[in-house]
Amino acid sequence: MAQEVVRRVGPLTDTRDPLSVVFAALADPTRRAILARLASGPVSVGELAEPFAMSGPAVSKHLRVLERAGLVSRERIAQSRPARLEAAPLAQVSRWAEEFRAFWDESYMRLDSLLSTMDDDSANDRGEQRDEP
Amino acid sequence: MSPEQKVRALSVTAPDERSIVVTREFAAPPDRLWRAHTEPELLKKWLGRRAYPMTTCEVDLRVGGRYRYVFTKLDGSKPMGMGGVFDVIERPTRLVTTEAFDDFPGPSVNTIRFEEIDGGTAMTLTVVYPSEEIRDGWLASGMTDGMGEGYDRLDGLLLDD
Repeated sequence: MAQEVVRRVGPLTDTRDPLSVVFAALADPTRRAILARLASGPVSVGELAEPFAMSGPAVSKHLRVLERAGLVSRERIAQSRPARLEAAPLAQVSRWAEEFRAFWDESYMRLDSLLSTMDDDSANDRGEQRDEP
Repeated sequence: MSPEQKVRALSVTAPDERSIVVTREFAAPPDRLWRAHTEPELLKKWLGRRAYPMTTCEVDLRVGGRYRYVFTKLDGSKPMGMGGVFDVIERPTRLVTTEAFDDFPGPSVNTIRFEEIDGGTAMTLTVVYPSEEIRDGWLASGMTDGMGEGYDRLDGLLLDD
């Protein structure tokens, strides 16, 4: 799963590992709100700035972070250069998170089963396991 | 699984800027938990998924000793490796390790506490990341509320149960 995430996330110019870049981009609440706004379709910087009570340059700065993470693309032709949500990295993060969650849920359920079959005769084990003399 | 086992809730919280705290209760005394977390032959029986089993489990259980786990998917895709060093070993209540994944941001300092409670053990796993950014990254997929239609799956994956 790790490979999948790393390979498909992009385009990237950041030297940090790709998943870190996506995570850092998603970590900011304003940027998450921008992504939520873009989920309903491409929007210009001016339109994006309005509901957030932010300046155009401030929104552009957030958009650049999202672009570097591959989460947003910008139209190069139109004058307003509307921002567009790119779903692929989100889908990868989502899949990774699901696997991570399932990994621990299933592991701990297996641990429940294992614990119920173990005995408590740990006195001998302690002797073998203990590090200190 | 035995019939008396109930589904136990895994709780994940973020109490400060750099930490994630995972808690769960188990119906067994702390020393069983300790052994299941430190003995390779036991670790291999539970850590991992059926379709994603642990294929390498090396444990040098002494302060400064290293551990190394590798999980290999049955579909043959790239294995997931992780490992670190044992910093504190206090059987059966406290285990402190560093943890680094081969392909994920880190490393973290992990403290596992096993506390005896009525009928079993309360486990508290505290994971401290090197920066708020990395911590938030690990939680981000669970905090992306309101991503709109199609992204509902992202919501609360790590924070809810």
